[in-house]
Amino acid sequence: MTLLQLDRITVAINGQPVLRQVSLEVAAGEAVGLVGESGSGKSMTVKSVVRLLPPGATAGGTVRFDGADVGALSPAALRRMRSRDVAMVFQDPRAAVNPVRTVGDFLTEVLRDQGVSRAIATEKAVRSLSEVGVGDATRRLNQRPYELSGGLLQRVVIAAALLTGPRLILADEPTTALDVTTQEEVVAILDEQRRLRAAALMFITHDLELAAAVCDRIAVMYAGEIVEILPAARLHDDARHPYTRALLASRPGAVAPGERLVTVPGIPQSALTAPAGCVFADRCPHAEARCHDERPVFTGSAACHLLEVL
Amino acid sequence: MLEVRDLRKEFKGVTAVDGVSFTVPAGGSLAVVGESGSGKTTCARIVTGLEKATSGTVTRHGSVQMVFQDPYQSLDRRQTVRSCLAEVLAHHRRDRSRIGELLDLVGLDRRLGDALPRHLSGGQRQRVAIARALAAEPRLLVLDEAVAALDVSIQAQILNLLVDARAATGVAYLFITHDLSVVRHVCEDVVVMSRGRVVESGPVERVLSRPEHEYTRRLVASVPRPGWVPRRAVSRD
Repeated sequence: MTLLQLDRITVAINGQPVLRQVSLEVAAGEAVGLVGESGSGKSMTVKSVVRLLPPGATAGGTVRFDGADVGALSPAALRRMRSRDVAMVFQDPRAAVNPVRTVGDFLTEVLRDQGVSRAIATEKAVRSLSEVGVGDATRRLNQRPYELSGGLLQRVVIAAALLTGPRLILADEPTTALDVTTQEEVVAILDEQRRLRAAALMFITHDLELAAAVCDRIAVMYAGEIVEILPAARLHDDARHPYTRALLASRPGAVAPGERLVTVPGIPQSALTAPAGCVFADRCPHAEARCHDERPVFTGSAACHLLEVL
Repeated sequence: MLEVRDLRKEFKGVTAVDGVSFTVPAGGSLAVVGESGSGKTTCARIVTGLEKATSGTVTRHGSVQMVFQDPYQSLDRRQTVRSCLAEVLAHHRRDRSRIGELLDLVGLDRRLGDALPRHLSGGQRQRVAIARALAAEPRLLVLDEAVAALDVSIQAQILNLLVDARAATGVAYLFITHDLSVVRHVCEDVVVMSRGRVVESGPVERVLSRPEHEYTRRLVASVPRPGWVPRRAVSRD
């Protein structure tokens, strides 16, 4: 069953394009990874799901959540969707919590707002903290964010995200600011708890291997477009778009130590600077004349004129 | 080239670096890896003289330059690339005519010499920072998370550049990083730090393929790779 459907989403900020016709479906309980370099439109895609667009932004296309057109929701229905059905976890947990309120206040706020009694909200908060591996949960409720490490605080944010029983979790680089051993722990918890609750996940990261480890499918973004979608398990063997292949080949682990890394000439384009034809044409080693002139249509798994020959 | 012996640094009673020793041979490449709070950056700052050790010795044979993580903060935003390099060359009594050569070495179009930092991308700025460091013809370059903030396709360009620059100039590297795949790619030896101490050291190939210390093992195991499944460790609260 399709839980979320993005149909030809476009976003422009002050008239300058940021997203160009992004289409993607997420099934109930499915995890989809959005990968790509800075400026590719990953965050904007996720924000457009809950209509959290910056000032000056104009959006086109349709977002459907559980069949309902998000663009047509009343303010009250949109608030309900944001607070109950969809949970968000961002890169910096310190920006997500109120620094002067306690962890307990942060965790129970939404439930209290929904009319749950203080005692039951607290009980749920304690249980949620234990589930994400935060020990001594009762004591943590009385602590403030500055008393917790980054990894611990991100687990508190995940606990809060799970509390309302969301059907979709939007996670934007949730472990990028964490040390690698802490990242493993936080990602394992997010993955385990999401599966237990059968919640869908949109996971933004620049780390292809991390995305492949916790997602069912991977969508690769470049210059405001999705250029390829493929099953995570087939990432290394079946990647066909030249940009996906370039990303895989440019990681330091891809060649023997000391050998030259395969690089993509030039610098990543944004939706604003992308060429008229294929967005990757000016950096693509295989580009032909039609790649520069004609925009490829996303067919099957990728948007590329040369899929048949590559 | 560089010899660090029994380094110790205390900040207001907290020991950040505790009995750290390592050496970088001439033209060699040593990585110091560890997580936040391991003391690796403090070591780098002591080596380059930005910080004073509480005790221990640092012996440098020849000049040392440093490249920082954030190319947005390490360049003067009102200074063109050319003027930035000219200033360093003049200070070290080197010939101004080397500017073009330096731009070539770091793979920057010579026309970008007149650009201000705000006209450059992150990768281009990091190239300028590396060119500026190499302008002084140092014997040792200390790179503190110098590729951490770059996108993967740009990171690959900079890593190739660093491999080439070492081959061309014979400069030695002290790489401060948390990224083990970068270590594997550009370093011969590695020092693993945890909580201010060296827990393991040796050739990169041996340490990362057959780690002996429990902490190194966990560090290696937590790097996402094909077939990797993230695991919950025993809670460490």
